[in-house]
Amino acid sequence: MEKLISASLIGLSQGAIFALMALALVLVFRSTRVVNFAQAGQAMVSTYIGWEVVARTENYWIALPIAALAGALLAAIIETFLMRPLAKRASHGAIAPVASIIASLGVLGVLHSGAAMIWTTEQKLFQSPVSVNGIEIGSTVYPFSQADMLIISTVIIVMLTFAFFFQRTSLGLSLRAAAFQPEISRLAGVRVDRVRTIGWALSGAAGAIVGVLVTPGNYLSPFSLDILLVYGFVAAVIGGLESPQGAALGGLILGMSLSFTSIYVSSGLTFIVPFVVLLLILLVKPKGIFGGGSSRNA
Amino acid sequence: MLNQKGFLAEGVLEMHSTHRRRLILFIVAGAILFYFSSRVGILRLYQGSTVSMYVIAIGSIILLTGYSGQISLGNGAFMAIGAYVAVLSQLHLDLPFFLTFFVAVLGAALAGLVLGIAAARLTGPYLAGATLALAVALPSIANLFPVLGGEQGLGYDSGNAPSLFGEVARFKWLFWISCLAALITCLLLQNILKSRYGRVWKSIRSNSVAAELTGINAPRSKVLAFVLSAGIAGLAGAVLTMSLGTVSPSAFPLSLSFALITGAVIAGISSLLPGSLVGAVVLVGMSQLIGTLTTRFEIGDVLAQNLKELVVSALLILAVVFTPNGPGEKIREMRDHRKHHSHGGHR
Repeated sequence: MEKLISASLIGLSQGAIFALMALALVLVFRSTRVVNFAQAGQAMVSTYIGWEVVARTENYWIALPIAALAGALLAAIIETFLMRPLAKRASHGAIAPVASIIASLGVLGVLHSGAAMIWTTEQKLFQSPVSVNGIEIGSTVYPFSQADMLIISTVIIVMLTFAFFFQRTSLGLSLRAAAFQPEISRLAGVRVDRVRTIGWALSGAAGAIVGVLVTPGNYLSPFSLDILLVYGFVAAVIGGLESPQGAALGGLILGMSLSFTSIYVSSGLTFIVPFVVLLLILLVKPKGIFGGGSSRNA
Repeated sequence: MLNQKGFLAEGVLEMHSTHRRRLILFIVAGAILFYFSSRVGILRLYQGSTVSMYVIAIGSIILLTGYSGQISLGNGAFMAIGAYVAVLSQLHLDLPFFLTFFVAVLGAALAGLVLGIAAARLTGPYLAGATLALAVALPSIANLFPVLGGEQGLGYDSGNAPSLFGEVARFKWLFWISCLAALITCLLLQNILKSRYGRVWKSIRSNSVAAELTGINAPRSKVLAFVLSAGIAGLAGAVLTMSLGTVSPSAFPLSLSFALITGAVIAGISSLLPGSLVGAVVLVGMSQLIGTLTTRFEIGDVLAQNLKELVVSALLILAVVFTPNGPGEKIREMRDHRKHHSHGGHR
């Protein structure tokens, strides 16, 4: 029973992180058809900026929005100055289907090495604003801390904000329109290029929030968030790469399968589980759970 | 059906002479490399082996991505499979070392078949995701089974040169083998990619529906590309293991898979031998060049260590933006452009 509760709680907390990372990838993919591998690098740089803010002000709650803002700005810069021209240049030939993936790998490398030059590869301690020790109920200590609760609640708030934004605001609506039918939205007066940049910025902010949430209690290094990219991407692919609900579900599925296998089977399987889960789901649904189909969810 | 056979027969006649010409070209290249192996130092020999390894590995990406249009972020994983198969077959089956290379190719190709069957249903980002997860998952398997030697890995003995060459230094011997492996791979790749298969893959890449209407079995051809690519990557893994003398999970990080893609893009993703050679030389030469420059100008350690990745990544971005289909095509484009202009002038 204790094991079951522990596994579910850890799964929930991990799943929330994966879901938000997956959402960041989905936001970019559905607005520009780019799988952004630089996401981990962008989140890492934003987290370093958050770390600098914490080091100076000792206040986590200021660092979180500043990091999110920095992440948004960085993403907007990458979209405007690299991805947009690239889409126009590499639109034909053998490279066309993979050009953006390759360019984002290049950006990831630049961010990695740039961050290592500025902050060195030495691991930095990021103080958590809340306790990272397990919560004690009765005589048993559960591997679930206040920090995990902070993660889950922040992710839920961010997701609900995004949902509200996409469903209820006119900017959110034009974002969905531009993702769904760029040509027709252009005719309807949506400034597609600008709207795409906003999509990237939102994704950058979401990635930055992931970094600032997950790093406290852990160490920060230029490579510390890379593995989250893999998990987030797997979660996004499970969900179908286009649907925010899919990202949330994919994150949860992955988080739960990871925590249950590591508690019930062996913790040595952490890197193999994502591959197995992904392959099983893709064998049944090659375009993910919410992906494909005749009608696209805008 | 009859038509196709007739066409094939004609093709065979024509191909015979080009095959022979290519074979002669490769024998000459081999002879030149053999000559140089006695004229250069150990460092150059070691770099030469590394270049050969990259030529093979980049070839596997060129076949898969440049021709069949599938992307793999996991060819480093197939290299790992090849490497481990080579080592295990030497340890437990006592195979002579050149046979371990064959077994490595077969083992990696078999893994490629399994993944390729799953991958044939996946496109673009979904395939990228599956192969990325594979590249992360596979090296960690080594820690699960004691027979794979865990984090320390296993040793591999590349043996000595046959006595008919007399006394041969270890690095020269390694250089010979890796060059031979690279030359054979390139010859085979060149022939496959210029054959009917190469054209079939290209046609699927540009329009799979149209390709299927002409009677091509697109899923099967894609699986075949995956199998071949995995087998070639497995050979690269065996060559890498041979030159390191050992195999361990840390030799196959995710960055290796990314480096291969970088090399292939710099090479021109649908180019052949000259491209993959350029890509490999850039990858190996870059670290040498930057190492020399940083010691020459006494650049601080932190900067120096990361400069290489920065330059390679920046190069990747520039390559994909400015010469998306490779430097070769760019040069051809410019030449055509000039020709066009001069023709206009004559009129």
